[in-house]
Amino acid sequence: MPERRTSRLTRPETLTAIGIAVVAAGFLIPTYDLRAISSLLPAAMLIGLIVLSVFLLVSDQRKAGAGEDAAPMTKSPKRVVGAFLMIVGYALASDFIGFYASTAVTIPLVAWVFGYRSPVGLLIATVIVVGTIWAIFDFGMSQDFPTGRLWGR
Amino acid sequence: MYSDLLHALPDVITFTNFAAVVIGVIAGIVVGAMPGLSATMAISVLVPFTFGLEPLVALGLMAGIYNGAMYGGAIPAVLLRIPGTPAAVATTFDGYPMAQKGEGGFALQVAVVSSAFGGIASAFALMLLAPPLSRVTLLFGPSEVFWVAVFGLASIIFLLGGNPVKGLISACFGVFVSVIGSDPIYGDDRFTFGQLEMLDGISIVILLVGLYALPPVIDLLETPLKTDGVNSSKLGTEPIWKALPRMKYWKTWIRGSFIGIWIGILPGAGGSMAAFMSYNEARRKSKHPETWGEGEPEGVAAAEVANNADTASALIPALTLGIPGTAVAAVMLGGLLVHGLQPGPMLFRDNPDIVFGFMWQFLFGAILLIPLGGSLATNSFARLLNLPRPLLGSVIIVLMLIGVYSIHGRMFDVYLMLGFGAIGWVMDRLQFPLPPVVLGLILGGFAEENLRLALRIGRGDPMVLFQNWTSLILVALTVAVIIGPSIKKRYADRRKQA
Repeated sequence: MPERRTSRLTRPETLTAIGIAVVAAGFLIPTYDLRAISSLLPAAMLIGLIVLSVFLLVSDQRKAGAGEDAAPMTKSPKRVVGAFLMIVGYALASDFIGFYASTAVTIPLVAWVFGYRSPVGLLIATVIVVGTIWAIFDFGMSQDFPTGRLWGR
Repeated sequence: MYSDLLHALPDVITFTNFAAVVIGVIAGIVVGAMPGLSATMAISVLVPFTFGLEPLVALGLMAGIYNGAMYGGAIPAVLLRIPGTPAAVATTFDGYPMAQKGEGGFALQVAVVSSAFGGIASAFALMLLAPPLSRVTLLFGPSEVFWVAVFGLASIIFLLGGNPVKGLISACFGVFVSVIGSDPIYGDDRFTFGQLEMLDGISIVILLVGLYALPPVIDLLETPLKTDGVNSSKLGTEPIWKALPRMKYWKTWIRGSFIGIWIGILPGAGGSMAAFMSYNEARRKSKHPETWGEGEPEGVAAAEVANNADTASALIPALTLGIPGTAVAAVMLGGLLVHGLQPGPMLFRDNPDIVFGFMWQFLFGAILLIPLGGSLATNSFARLLNLPRPLLGSVIIVLMLIGVYSIHGRMFDVYLMLGFGAIGWVMDRLQFPLPPVVLGLILGGFAEENLRLALRIGRGDPMVLFQNWTSLILVALTVAVIIGPSIKKRYADRRKQA
């Protein structure tokens, strides 16, 4: 099958290999400030990562040269990006607004956005989950959750 | 040698410890029954919640989940032809045709009894083989321990199959993560970038949750799955005690158990390979191989007995040498570390009650499959398939945050987990194996410490690593593991050409 991408360098494995090599090279810099024995294993691993990523890059480019198409990483990129953003958004909201408020909003919001559209079901599920978390962790185990940096707590 | 095994029994049969196994089995069946969720993911999410628990309660939950999930995977495999776990693929071959014929209930009962049989055999194998092996490994010094770690990493990279370059990248990444934090001997900061939170290193729990829990959640939200529930409504269930006399699969169960146990011990193989091998072998021995694939209950028995027989046996190398045979075993090692239990020979010497108690819990977990899975599975658990996946995904996200936050009570760990989750998702999609990352993190620090200790003993001479027979045997085994698969492949290619 012919390669459908405009550039062979945008193949997922090629991009990953380049990313690994760049990040590993970046992490190599602080090893010069360490004692030789302390930097032995980390430097070996980072150099290993760079060498292996070159192998990966070459093998992927050979595949591209042979006309082998690279499978896309996802069939629904918007849903994947949306899911990631919602999870990151939930973590940030818990940190800045507080855990309970964010959780009470996130559970129905994520479920609604990704296709579960029953208001009663969402309400019941949210009450059960938030209530159970409060009963087990807050009440039962005295676990503290983030209360929100925005409120200065 | 086995007296410690009996001493550990009273601790296991206390109410709390036994209840943990019961809860674990039920939770495991629920998780296994949901396509997209796995025992690895469930245990990863569970591990941070077990911090405050007694070790045997935590390990009982894990043992129960592992046993339950391996059976639970059969429920959607039989009813929807969607394996709940990768190990349940072979169960679909005859399970689904049985469900279409209105025999779904019997197929699930065969699955649960076979799973229990395999699990019990596996637990006995763990009890019989692990103690003598641990005695041998107690004699190891720093250089041997270093080589054991190298052998463990090599086995999981090269025997796991797939692309060895990707396996090596995964392992290097895992070992690199293990060195982040203070140097164990000189106290130098390594890659902490001034973050106090990273001085103690990266907690295995953060990595486990990120790598194993986040990608499945993304999958749940990415792909809408509609289930028709047709086969769930015509299960044709009868009480399990009435169904038992119809199950005359002793030979298949015994053969499948041996296959599963052997595959479990081998690093990198796993339940799906065991199930396929057992299924093929049982079909080869069958008097009516033509009925297989069209709803032959013995096919379900062969697949399920083997995929459960690899559960406890995968822990034989994991507990004695610190080398897990499967991804779940790797995650379980992480669970042990959380409770300060370093897998390896010292575990048997320093914590016999816990390690042998864990073995009993595996046995009880397997036995409990029959009453818990057998009575409820065909009715209640089949309904789980109708749970909305987006809702499930959102609840798991919340559990992940709580679990990781509760380790040290700081959001930094949550952000770190999300970073590992993103890396894990990319690795998962590009088919980089994840177990070498976990094993790299577990064994990296361990290997470094022992390497440096050995070098100190040898006054800096690296030849100290090759100065005794045990080390040389381990080096030879490592080399064999590395070059073995390519020699085997060449041999197979030549035979094909001939």
